[in-house]
Amino acid sequence: MRGTKHLLLWTSLGALLLLGWAAYAENFRQEWRLLQAAYRDRLPADRRAEFQAQLRQIVVPALNSVDRCVTCHLGMSPGDTALPGDRVFGPHPDVSHDPAQFGCTVCHGGQGRATVKADAHGDVRHWPEPMIPRRHAYAGCGACHTHLAIPETASLDRGRALFERHDCLACHRMEGRGGTLRPGGAGGMEGPDLTAAGARGYDRGWYPGHLAHPEEGRTGAGDGRAEAAGAAGSGARRWQASFAPLPAGDPQAIDIYLGSRVGAPGLVEAKALFHSIGCRGCHSIAGVGGDDGPDLTREGQRDPGQLGLTHATGGASPTGGAALTGWLADHFRAPARVVAGSAMPEIGLTDEQIDRLTFYMMSLRRSDYPEALWPKDRIRAERFGEREFATDGPTLYGTYCAACHGRQGEGMRFPGTTAFPAISNSDFLAIASDDFLRQTIRRGRPGRRMPAWGEKEGGLRPDEIDAVIAQVRRIGGGVVARPDPRPARWARGDSAAGARLYADACASCHGATGEGGEGPALHNRVLLEAAGDTYLFETIRRGRRGTSMAAFSDASPVRRTLEDEEIEAIVTHIRTWEVKR
Amino acid sequence: MSRGQGMAQFLDNLKAAPRRFAESAWRSGTPNTDRSRSSFVFGNVFLHLHPVRTHRWSLRWSTTWGLGIASVSAFLITLVTGVLLMFYYKPYPDVAYDAIKDIHFVVPTGRFIRNLHRWAGNIMAVSVLLHMARTFYTAAYRKPREFNWVVGMVLLVVTLGLAFTGYLLPWDQLAYWAITIGANIAQSPREVTDALGMTAVFDPGGLQKLLLLGSEDVGAEALIRFYLLHVMILPLVLVLLIAVHFWRIRKDGGLTRPEDADRRVGGPAGIHPSFTEAPQKTYHLAAVVRGRTAAVGRGPEGTVPAMPHLFYAEMAALMLTVFVCLLLSLLIDAPLKELANPSVPENPAKAPWYFLGLQELVSFSAFMGGIGIPAIVILGLALIPYLDRETTGTGEWFGGPGGGRLVAGSAVFGLAAVLLVETFAIRLGWIREWWLAAPQILITLVNPGTVLTLIYALYSIWLVRRHQSGRAGALGLFTCFLCGFVVLTIIGTWFRGPNWGFYWSRAHWPGH
Repeated sequence: MRGTKHLLLWTSLGALLLLGWAAYAENFRQEWRLLQAAYRDRLPADRRAEFQAQLRQIVVPALNSVDRCVTCHLGMSPGDTALPGDRVFGPHPDVSHDPAQFGCTVCHGGQGRATVKADAHGDVRHWPEPMIPRRHAYAGCGACHTHLAIPETASLDRGRALFERHDCLACHRMEGRGGTLRPGGAGGMEGPDLTAAGARGYDRGWYPGHLAHPEEGRTGAGDGRAEAAGAAGSGARRWQASFAPLPAGDPQAIDIYLGSRVGAPGLVEAKALFHSIGCRGCHSIAGVGGDDGPDLTREGQRDPGQLGLTHATGGASPTGGAALTGWLADHFRAPARVVAGSAMPEIGLTDEQIDRLTFYMMSLRRSDYPEALWPKDRIRAERFGEREFATDGPTLYGTYCAACHGRQGEGMRFPGTTAFPAISNSDFLAIASDDFLRQTIRRGRPGRRMPAWGEKEGGLRPDEIDAVIAQVRRIGGGVVARPDPRPARWARGDSAAGARLYADACASCHGATGEGGEGPALHNRVLLEAAGDTYLFETIRRGRRGTSMAAFSDASPVRRTLEDEEIEAIVTHIRTWEVKR
Repeated sequence: MSRGQGMAQFLDNLKAAPRRFAESAWRSGTPNTDRSRSSFVFGNVFLHLHPVRTHRWSLRWSTTWGLGIASVSAFLITLVTGVLLMFYYKPYPDVAYDAIKDIHFVVPTGRFIRNLHRWAGNIMAVSVLLHMARTFYTAAYRKPREFNWVVGMVLLVVTLGLAFTGYLLPWDQLAYWAITIGANIAQSPREVTDALGMTAVFDPGGLQKLLLLGSEDVGAEALIRFYLLHVMILPLVLVLLIAVHFWRIRKDGGLTRPEDADRRVGGPAGIHPSFTEAPQKTYHLAAVVRGRTAAVGRGPEGTVPAMPHLFYAEMAALMLTVFVCLLLSLLIDAPLKELANPSVPENPAKAPWYFLGLQELVSFSAFMGGIGIPAIVILGLALIPYLDRETTGTGEWFGGPGGGRLVAGSAVFGLAAVLLVETFAIRLGWIREWWLAAPQILITLVNPGTVLTLIYALYSIWLVRRHQSGRAGALGLFTCFLCGFVVLTIIGTWFRGPNWGFYWSRAHWPGH
């Protein structure tokens, strides 16, 4: 009885204590309350009285989002005072979309309903959409936007270089830089900020127009700053003295650059790199690209909890957005080390390139929002079939071909894969007709790594194939194919003799039955259909300089020289595989 | 009567109103004597389920360890916190998950209340199981308490049902896939009907799953069903059965105690009043209660008034349970995983912990592990009081032939058997690994679960023959099954990884 009474007494006291503590801690010691108290202390005295310590949230019913981020990030809460420069209470940077209207998680990821930092930022287990790390914050644009007509890196770099070389930054601001030279005094002659020129549009004819008519051109950008006209007369003359007509070609290059400025610094460069090193040759995004590798449409939304982080070194923490970026970076460095059995080769990227590709991967999100809310670029890309990348030759080549055939068409060889042929070889381009190239790109090489780009979904369109062919010839030094006066099939050699010669001279590289080995497969249906006898004959006779394929008509101390009849016999032998199939 | 007198009368009445209200509510006056306390107890709707006097044997902690009270206390906590949670919970997919997130992050003390609900539910499941074990080991199911034991069985099933239906409500990955597993177990009679080729005609498994989920998959229909079961139907059934359970305790003569309990608790040390004469009147004479009653044939020296002695003990057990629940809720949050996603299966998908022993058996044969063996166990448990008609050892821990030594030996045997069978199945596989084309009916009949059940049954028959006692067999069998349940649950909880493979620790799980 006594023991029972004691038990009752102490458990009751303990329970009361715990209940009291719970009531206190759960109501007065929450992280956000402590933060709001700290914020209140830092407010100007006159604002302190009207500050209400309470939860704040931005609700966007259309996006089904409830974002309580502004409970702590009070500087971004509509109606509260921002404390400039503060990491937590500072204002939101000026961006195209008003956070008060769009909410936070739509761009940044994270858990909007949470009111505890670790949960809200997604740095906890079981939250599949962690915040995008700050350095890649603009990857959030990918939740809705696709961005159209992104050029490859070289064009972009050239455009930027010209933009800077022609002193555009003197008057214009671009991604936080420039706009320093103001001939008419402070604010007098400042040009418009071009950070989002590609998204908002700009007057392409302004520069030449202004050169021709400086007095009118002053407000030519549609800026409506007519009130500055009085002070501007002398400024305009000074402008004319400093700026001259641009050399031919430069305006176009600058246009490419400006057209790509959509207010997402870094993201476009990241995307351009992806479309310069041939990633879409194996990976598809939104159904466009190859299917050797995994679909990357939503790569940036992968759940860090579902990643195999055992072998990743970059992301030490197994949770949060940093885990995903770390995993991606490790993966770009050495894919097979992170994903066992990965067929992706080590591409040999620099750290900067890895960072850019990671950035772009993080932007591959495409969240499921009602189609009515989609921005124009996404509608145009996903519903009207417009390309996300520019469809000029260099970009198309960089998008589809560069990974395997090399950025200069020099061919590639990765450990564990067969060699990819050099396609900018002048010996090759001299005998490969446009039609042969077109057939090859369109129908691929069945059974080999080369996909049929013209036939598969997500492949190349006819005009794009032509642009790629033009680009291949361009990087090959402008070599055009010699016209072939002979019919496609003319070889009438002795196929038995050809078989012996083939076994002797060719089989070691091309395989006993033409199945390929060190050299390309020759019994390939599409190759044999597309290639004329002249093509085969000349390839054997002249070889391909710079590759393992020797010119067999040349004298050599290590193998016998082939006579024309012998080569014809080999071609005849090779043709027998075509019949058999 | 003058106007002034009437007014004075009214004022007096007004002054006396609180006292009169108390009198009318409590009727028996301040409970400060044993007599008034007795009136207080049987005059109160909530307390009258108690006896007026309680035997001191029943008040010893070692008699019950307060497990029954702990169970009902945990139930009361879930009841209170559950009602609070219902204010914010919305039983519709996706919305449900958001509601739980809001309860966790925004509702004042919502996180704490949800934790309490979760912990109290788990503690209830544990204490109900332990309570059953206590009842069994003290042979408290024997005549005249057979029926109350059966009621207890049903209470156990309803308790597990409550815990299971509550598992789906957060609508997270954990919930979704645990319930998917559960629903597939409900469908498992198909294993047998398929093997017999009669599923097209007779499909009780499919019907069970359809009744449970209202659809082929876990979805909105399933959620509303589980919600209704969890907040209304099962609690109502549970409250009713608890009432029956308590009432039967009283009508069956209070808690079990040994024949010589009076002698063993000693004389009436300082307990007043003490009775020295045989009672003149019993309930038996009044034909109110059949058979032997508490007071017949001996003096009530061993008893004390229920108020305050029993109430102190009960309150202590209640507060201890409350304290433990509060402490756990402050320290450990209830789990909440990602939003349920039918296209991303959890691997491994695990049922709630109290079903993991069954899931371990299910991994060998869905029907036997999920339905066959549990049914055999529940049926066997329910039959025990009707098969064991002995009287020796009633009210004693491990009472019966063999006693504690037999139970210890059975525990060793039970552990060894389950570990051996599991080791065999894990190291060497089972029939399907050696003979790919084995007919399913063979595996349904012969699998580690059934083999283990058979071993336990044979062992128990051997005990019956050896001790010439059904109680000895029951003690052995119950102990074996308890060991099997614990070991299988532990293996299922901590040693099973992706694709239900065996792993020594989570660190050995393969990456995805």
